Amino acid sequence: MASDNNVYSRKATLSLKISEFEVPPMQDLLIIGRKAPIGPEAVRRMADALSPEQFTLIKMNHPKIEAVLLRNTLLQMIDEKLLMKIILEEAERMISDSMVLRSELKIALSVQREVDLL
Amino acid sequence: MNISDIMTTTICTITSDKSVSYAAERMNESQVDSLVVMDHGEVLGMVTTRDVLSAHPNRIVADAMSSQPFYLSANHNVWEAYHALHQEQGGLALVMQEDQLIGFITKEIVEMKIAEYRDPLSGLYRAPYIEFIGENFLKERKPFHLLFIDLNDFGRINKLHGHPFGDDVIRTYSSVLSSLAEEQGDYLCRYAGDEFVLISTISDEQIQEYISLITRPTNVLDVFVSAAVGHVNGYQTPDFFARSWRELIAEASLGSSAAKLSKTLTSTMG
Repeated sequence: MASDNNVYSRKATLSLKISEFEVPPMQDLLIIGRKAPIGPEAVRRMADALSPEQFTLIKMNHPKIEAVLLRNTLLQMIDEKLLMKIILEEAERMISDSMVLRSELKIALSVQREVDLL
Repeated sequence: MNISDIMTTTICTITSDKSVSYAAERMNESQVDSLVVMDHGEVLGMVTTRDVLSAHPNRIVADAMSSQPFYLSANHNVWEAYHALHQEQGGLALVMQEDQLIGFITKEIVEMKIAEYRDPLSGLYRAPYIEFIGENFLKERKPFHLLFIDLNDFGRINKLHGHPFGDDVIRTYSSVLSSLAEEQGDYLCRYAGDEFVLISTISDEQIQEYISLITRPTNVLDVFVSAAVGHVNGYQTPDFFARSWRELIAEASLGSSAAKLSKTLTSTMG
């Protein structure tokens, strides 16, 4: 026989994770697909609003990739054409036209010199 | 006809930071096919139903719009708009009058208007087209050859074989002329009845070749058809640019009548 004193309760469990938010929410570059939900102009506006003058948007004529947003410091260290060639070669293997890829790109310079001893 | 007579004057605007899905809703509510993208009173471009359909709905309008708006003045005529829109990507132009945006025009609207200037029998343009080309060349002081082509004995063909056959002859002869006038810088129209006008910027030697081909009897549907040609040579006529289009076309048509008369006299005397 069912009791009239049935207890009905609703509970929720909260799980909280806190980590650092990157500003802007990207590292060194974003590769924007032609049909991606965020377009180059929106990406440029986001970067300009959050990190003014730190990023450059490069639009391109590519079947899947519409544009690449690059941290300016990278362009100061390495030639744009060379950098873009490498980025495109690697990105086009995995990107679809509806994706936006985030990437980290670090340049480490290794120098070895020989000098005459005095 | 000026484009201000056929343009769309209902201008709905949207800012570039709105989403593509919002733009679609706006178009739907306002029952329009395009929105002018404006930020702080400045026109940035247009977003059309085609743009909305091909872009992700989350994108902002700035990433879906036709960039670099193309402007035309309200005083441009439909032919100028037609040529300008064919050279532009996007097929849409904003219409300005004294720095004021007063409407927009699409390639489709212009093409529909232009289609009214096409002759349904031959598929060639009618007289207003060639008048536009000729007047434009005169305005730009660009010399050209003007040929007035009048079929010989067309009345007799109609009488002998009936008017439907005459229509077939016009249709076939038009395609013969079209295939002849396929050089860049050749503009052809069916002027009226059995008369055609050709504007060409080819060399003197080539135009003589054209004339000799046109005047030579051609077998059209088993009937030999030739034409009398009146020629005004804009490269050699000293006062060419001092004359109006009306004067030039009159001279060319009189030239073709004279050629016809001399042919008749020759055949009578012969």
